[in-house]
Amino acid sequence: MAEFFQHIIDGISVGAIYALIALGYTMVYGVLKLINFAHGDVFMVGAMIGWYVARWTGESRDPSIPGALLITLASMAVCGCLGFVIERAAYRPLRNSPRLNSLITAIGVSFFLEYGGQYVFGPNPRVFTVLPRHPGVHLGPVSLGYVDIVTVIVSVALMIVLQRIVFHTKMGTAMRAVSFNSTVASLMGVNIDRVISFTFVLGSVLAAVAGILYASKYPSVQPLMGLMPGLKAFVAAVLGGIGNVPGAMLGGLVLGLAEQVVSGYLSSSWRDAVAFAILILVLLVRPTGLLGRGEAEKV
Amino acid sequence: MAGLFGGSALAQARRALLSWLPFVAAIPLLWLVEQFLASQPDWEYAFQNINHIGIAIILAVSLNLVNGLTGQFSIGHAGFMAVGGYVSAVLLLRGPSEDPYRLFFILCIAAGAGAAALAGWLVGKPSLRLRGDYLAIVTLGFGEIIRVVIENTRLFGGAIGLSPIPRYADFTWIWTAAIATILISKRLRDSTHGRAFLSVREDEVAAEAMGVDTTGYKVRAFVISAAMAGIAGALSGAFEGNLSPQSFTFVRSFEVVAMVVLGGMGSITGSTIAAAVLTLLPEYLRALANLRMVIYSVALVLLMLLRPRGLLGTREVWDLFPWRREKKRAVAAAKAPELSEALIDVRRATIRFGGLTAVCEFSLTVKPRELVALIGPNGAGKTTVFNLLTGVYPPTEGTILVRGRDTRGLAPHDIAHLGLARTFQNIRLFRELTAFDNVRLGCHHLTRESMAASVRKGELAEVEESWITQRSEELLAVMGLFHRRDDLAKNLPYGEQRRLEIARALATDPKALLLDEPAAGTNQKEKAELMQLIRGIRDRFGVAVVLIEHDMKLVMGVSERILVLDHGVTIAQGLPREIQTNPKVIEAYLGEKYARAHAGQIAAGRVQP
Repeated sequence: MAEFFQHIIDGISVGAIYALIALGYTMVYGVLKLINFAHGDVFMVGAMIGWYVARWTGESRDPSIPGALLITLASMAVCGCLGFVIERAAYRPLRNSPRLNSLITAIGVSFFLEYGGQYVFGPNPRVFTVLPRHPGVHLGPVSLGYVDIVTVIVSVALMIVLQRIVFHTKMGTAMRAVSFNSTVASLMGVNIDRVISFTFVLGSVLAAVAGILYASKYPSVQPLMGLMPGLKAFVAAVLGGIGNVPGAMLGGLVLGLAEQVVSGYLSSSWRDAVAFAILILVLLVRPTGLLGRGEAEKV
Repeated sequence: MAGLFGGSALAQARRALLSWLPFVAAIPLLWLVEQFLASQPDWEYAFQNINHIGIAIILAVSLNLVNGLTGQFSIGHAGFMAVGGYVSAVLLLRGPSEDPYRLFFILCIAAGAGAAALAGWLVGKPSLRLRGDYLAIVTLGFGEIIRVVIENTRLFGGAIGLSPIPRYADFTWIWTAAIATILISKRLRDSTHGRAFLSVREDEVAAEAMGVDTTGYKVRAFVISAAMAGIAGALSGAFEGNLSPQSFTFVRSFEVVAMVVLGGMGSITGSTIAAAVLTLLPEYLRALANLRMVIYSVALVLLMLLRPRGLLGTREVWDLFPWRREKKRAVAAAKAPELSEALIDVRRATIRFGGLTAVCEFSLTVKPRELVALIGPNGAGKTTVFNLLTGVYPPTEGTILVRGRDTRGLAPHDIAHLGLARTFQNIRLFRELTAFDNVRLGCHHLTRESMAASVRKGELAEVEESWITQRSEELLAVMGLFHRRDDLAKNLPYGEQRRLEIARALATDPKALLLDEPAAGTNQKEKAELMQLIRGIRDRFGVAVVLIEHDMKLVMGVSERILVLDHGVTIAQGLPREIQTNPKVIEAYLGEKYARAHAGQIAAGRVQP
């Protein structure tokens, strides 16, 4: 039983990170109907920037809480800019072309970040420590890692903030309007370009935080680290219902739990197959996801 | 019939063999080249590259069938390649140690292709209902699952892989397969099935309305493409002598996608050339090995921004040299009309979207050769009636009979087969295809040739193909569009696009033609011509016409019977004269207040809606 609870705790912690990345996918899909393949790599860049800042400030030798905050903020800022630039340079010129073209471009951008990162950073993983050493909390046989606690607290806090932004601000209302029908939204005076840019920045900032948390959980950084978590977060977004913000959170959690339970009881080598099996199952049984709503094409 | 088309198995086989003769004759040539050159040490490195190119061509050309021609986006091609490669390798390793005539090898390749095709069917059948980008993710996920399964299976050598596989595949084998792939692909593309693939890419709703089974064609494209990838995998394994799961990752799939995109989505020669270029490029960029993928990705993004349809677009290399012209033909005589029971019989059909009743208890009978108009204010539910008739939506209640057959549960393409053809309010031509191809697609469901027959150039296939050409040219001529034969549909002016849509609908050999606002956006002169045209179509083709139209002059001029819809309810029906003076109709069009104020004039028949 203790083992089971341990898996649940690990699952929640991983799931929270997936959820943070999934939010970026889901928001961008909501406003643009585009699968932003590069999003997982923005997450990687977030972790990488964190590593550079930590080395530069000397935090990596002597981690502290204010230092961790500084690193996270710096990486959020850089990733926000990166998201903005990606949208401007690669996606905006293609906004009115077939969706296939945008998808191919997204894959191109993703590979550019991965292999560009490999060129700059080198292909080998490097150790990354942000948080000060702390034994964590032990509840009987179940142990709660320090990183896990921080991850869950930070993720929940960010999701609450995001919920406020999307549902209680002017920009959030505009985002939802664009997602519902961008033509009509623009006729009502919503500046679509600004909304889309904002969405990309918001998603990228969340991905940066996720990157820092993920890197400090496993503690290492490498240029291809964004690939798998990125794909899985996308699965989480589809699972919850793509375009749906609470759905992405739910999907992330469900996926994290499923993965930990499978790798705990079956074998960790099957872990990567779980996400995709879930994805295919969801798309077959309920293509709109757990919380999504379908729409029919008008003839 | 069998005699007419030389249907005996022997004659069939002879024809097929004859059509493939140049190819069969070329195989010994390949073998000779190999005997003379490949054995020399100077050529060893060159031949290694040439063989890599051959395998890349099989992969790119087969993926082009799905991504380019059918417009579905698969990024899991390496997965199918892995299935084919591993199945054949496992068999080869357990097979006889001596295989002088390579018969067992052929069996292994076939098994690999079969396994990959099965995998393609298993993935495609359920997931091809999904829209483009979802499909992309499913194929990606599938590719990854295959890799994980292989890595965890002892039979497949786990993470280390399989070796030593007998190295049977040499230059002759690989290039025979590559050339066969290109030929099969080309023959499929030029057949009615190829046009069906294209129609799926262009507009699925319109393709269904023309009688193309879109899901069926997607699955077929997927299965054929997977089988070819399986062959590539089998050859690759038997060429390298080993297989490892690391060579079938997402990156491999991506390279193939890059080839297809670079060459131009849908262009077979484009894919072939791109496969060669992208295989050779890294060899010459060894100095930049670290930057290889960076260059790839930047090139891909730039290509999408600057030349979104790839280098060649949907064209082939030879399309760049204009030397193809066909002589014009005269228009043949009209067909004899058919008399039978009611063509369309709608009984109290109702459809609700959530709480909204779009059409309520709608009844309509259309007899052969009848001209019926459906009018009503915007939002009255007219187009919804068409969507009900053509099976786009099933009715919530009531029944719809087409030629006496209940259409419940039939897909739009089945209903098109029954003899209902339509045009669309917001023109839905296959925009990137020529006017001629648009009309030829309409003939699609009238053909009987199988895909295999198109590939081996069966006699029936050729007879049908020439018949389709003749029929389509006639229709273009009838519609006054013959001079537009080879223009892309999207480049036609608006009025001609509307006429082309009618020609395409007529090509399906309908019993009833449903026209959705054919006069929208045309001027007075064109409207007068259209009136003539609609009558002319009825007389020449003997079809019944159901017309949705707002232009009252046209409606009154052309129709024999009129139904008026308002808010989904049939408020009046009758002869044009009766409708003109019906107070309910005037009220619906002009408003209650106006109708009451002018009651006297209406009664005297002086106000017309």
